[in-house]
Amino acid sequence: MEAVAALEALLGEDRVHTHPLDRILFAKDSGVTSGPVTAIAFPETANETAACVRIARQAEMPVVARGAGTGLAGGAVPAEPSLLLVMTRMNDIVDVDVRGRTAWVGPGVINLDLSAAVGDHGLHFAPDPSSQQACTIGGNVGTNAGGPHCLADGTTVAHILAVEMVTADGEVIVVGGEAPDPIGLDLRSVVVGSEGTLGIVTSVLVKLTENPPGVRTILAGFDRIEDASRTVSDIIAAGLVPAALEMMDRAMVQAVENFVHAGYPTNAAAVLLAEVAGHPTGVEAETALIARIAEGHDASRVRVAVDAQERALLWKGRKSAFGAVAQAAPDYYLHDTVVPRTKLVEVLQGVYDIAERYDIALLNVFHAGDGNLHPLVAYDAAEPGTTDRVRAAAEEMVRISVDAGGSLSGEHGIGIEKRNLMSLVFSPADLDAQARLRDSFDPDGLLNPSKVLPEGSRCFDTGGSS
Amino acid sequence: MTSLRSATARLFERLKDDSVETDAEFAVAPDSLESAAEVLTVAADAGMAVSFQGTGSHQSIGYRAPANVVMTTRRLDRIVDWQPEDLTVVVEAGVSVADLEATVAQRGQTTVLPEVPGGATVGGVVACGLSGYRRLRYGPTRDRVLEVSLATGYGAVVRGGGRVVKNVTGYDLPRLATGSLGTFGLIGNVCLKLWPVGSVAATVRGVGPEWRDAFRPLAVLETDGVVTVYVAGIREQVDAQVSDLGGEVTEGLRWPDPVGGPVRLSLRIPPSRIEAAIAHVAGWSDTSYRAQHGVGEIEIGTTAVLDRLVELRSWAETQRGALVIVEAPDELLAEFDPWGTPPPSLEIQRRLKAAFDPAGVCNRGRLPGGL
Repeated sequence: MEAVAALEALLGEDRVHTHPLDRILFAKDSGVTSGPVTAIAFPETANETAACVRIARQAEMPVVARGAGTGLAGGAVPAEPSLLLVMTRMNDIVDVDVRGRTAWVGPGVINLDLSAAVGDHGLHFAPDPSSQQACTIGGNVGTNAGGPHCLADGTTVAHILAVEMVTADGEVIVVGGEAPDPIGLDLRSVVVGSEGTLGIVTSVLVKLTENPPGVRTILAGFDRIEDASRTVSDIIAAGLVPAALEMMDRAMVQAVENFVHAGYPTNAAAVLLAEVAGHPTGVEAETALIARIAEGHDASRVRVAVDAQERALLWKGRKSAFGAVAQAAPDYYLHDTVVPRTKLVEVLQGVYDIAERYDIALLNVFHAGDGNLHPLVAYDAAEPGTTDRVRAAAEEMVRISVDAGGSLSGEHGIGIEKRNLMSLVFSPADLDAQARLRDSFDPDGLLNPSKVLPEGSRCFDTGGSS
Repeated sequence: MTSLRSATARLFERLKDDSVETDAEFAVAPDSLESAAEVLTVAADAGMAVSFQGTGSHQSIGYRAPANVVMTTRRLDRIVDWQPEDLTVVVEAGVSVADLEATVAQRGQTTVLPEVPGGATVGGVVACGLSGYRRLRYGPTRDRVLEVSLATGYGAVVRGGGRVVKNVTGYDLPRLATGSLGTFGLIGNVCLKLWPVGSVAATVRGVGPEWRDAFRPLAVLETDGVVTVYVAGIREQVDAQVSDLGGEVTEGLRWPDPVGGPVRLSLRIPPSRIEAAIAHVAGWSDTSYRAQHGVGEIEIGTTAVLDRLVELRSWAETQRGALVIVEAPDELLAEFDPWGTPPPSLEIQRRLKAAFDPAGVCNRGRLPGGL
């Protein structure tokens, strides 16, 4: 194939893979979908990336950028036979500005590695998805990744100042900047979260966050989920937005406790994990306030981590949730919807009812502070019919979230998985506007086509719009 | 005067806004996004230009947009849906920032929009992308806009985002529309993320180098050589911070008045360059400034001395920043561009403008590059 030969001439044969095994390996992300891969290339610079895009353009072959493949919505899974650009070799942390608290980093830098690299300066990268030991900054940008600490700090978009990217035309441009409010339209804010459909990120200017001088992590067990939820509401009503407010239900707590032995109360109906950060004197008072509110809602046990080690253990429990599920079943399907926080309990009850009706094993872990639900279904795909049942249940769970005033995804993205559900939350006119936005960046649909927007989003030629 | 068919004339008459002083042929105040879209459709067909305004307090930002029609948000004045426990509020564009802030303050919440808004409306502040001083702690206004509804230049009513505090469903139209200066169409309503205000707040004036150790203050402002730190939270958190800072403490948040002068500027540079930027401005006569440490924006009020502006913009752009005119007399604008060097992504920006406003109806030419 001509394009492959051109890629090999550009990058060398060792950085262009077409072996069937490789094409199978890179056909999937961490979710449940897979797609057709024509070739896999490993660019090491922005210029190489641009040249790859130009070769693909010439061959009319779609281009899908990919980081570590930890995504769950199929954002990096090709929907059409595509060239996969694996960005993991571009993993340099180029330029750390300690005073300005910024750094230029390659898209292939692993999220946790970035925080480790700047830790000596008292800084970290705030977005902390559960996959942070493996996921890349480029992937975080692509999905506008979240994590427990996004409650107070905001999701990835709040931590990206500028993005260098290769456009669909194969040019390298920078959107955003080090100074606040760069003039003109803020393209940076739509490139973040665009799942590789508006450009291919080749370098990222991240904002780094100072490590708090004082941190306290509080764990509270409740006999009723409603009480845990009211505790969350009252904490915020008291004028306090903790660094994180996470919740797990009984099934998840038991799975996690078996796995990491963090000392979670396995007989509680819900466990709330709260973290406060700030002045050391202040966090003591905030901790006491949270404990009081929790006890006021009949928390059966309130535990405050005494040191960094215990804190790390409590968090390890939360962040291992998805790994822990492997004990229950070989496969899992992890959902991601958002509802207004006041609807959490109601929607959660609906989710339990759906699981019961479909006879599937359900565990729950969620970002309670911002209403971001992650119902997790553990199942065995080898059992005939199970996968279909799991998917049908998944769609119902999304629907009840939307009916409660929520949205399709809080942090995982739309990808392939949810593109056909977009019309649950958007009108044809809304989707047409999004298609116009996408086409402004990539008129020919070269970059990660058939993602995010459902087919038929464009109503340009129906006479109503131009 | 542009001649209009009778149906169109009736539409313009029905929506007429008598309250606005303008040289434009028509002034209209739509009562819904649908009627705004109707006007824009008519304008596109007739080849007319439409400019948007709330109270008109920030029309001086950017290039002047020609207007056959001035469209105001005077009749879009409702707080539609405030959910205190979900920390969200849906509000129409014409609601004043001050009124909205007073409303949500009743339940101990804040919009984190500009603290000294004057008569500015929510729609105006979002369209201009203006942020409050507390962006140091809570992020810019762009991070507060969860959902936006627009009447586009091609005459459609479209919505982007959603009414939840965390959302990656589709492209981020709310953030893109923020600061777009009406270039895609009329911003008719938005859903904003609210924040609980701490139970206690303090303003600490005359702080020394200790301000650098303050943990996530709301704002650190340097006003004509004096550093003021703003903190909020529960009593113990605030007391502990205040005692570390030194300086003169006042309970509550005492924000400075906006800078005055015939020329008002927004200097935007990387935060680590702010001292160097202050050094540029500190020696200017008849000048006052408010520098936002940690953010990198300096508001400057001064007189029309062209040489200074040329020199400062040239320096700012070498620092990868910008010097933007917020307000200036026409004579100065004839000699000094309000924006400076256009951004490198201008071609994509041009395509976006064309996609949302194919006939070039909406606030034509206000953005850099004349978009």
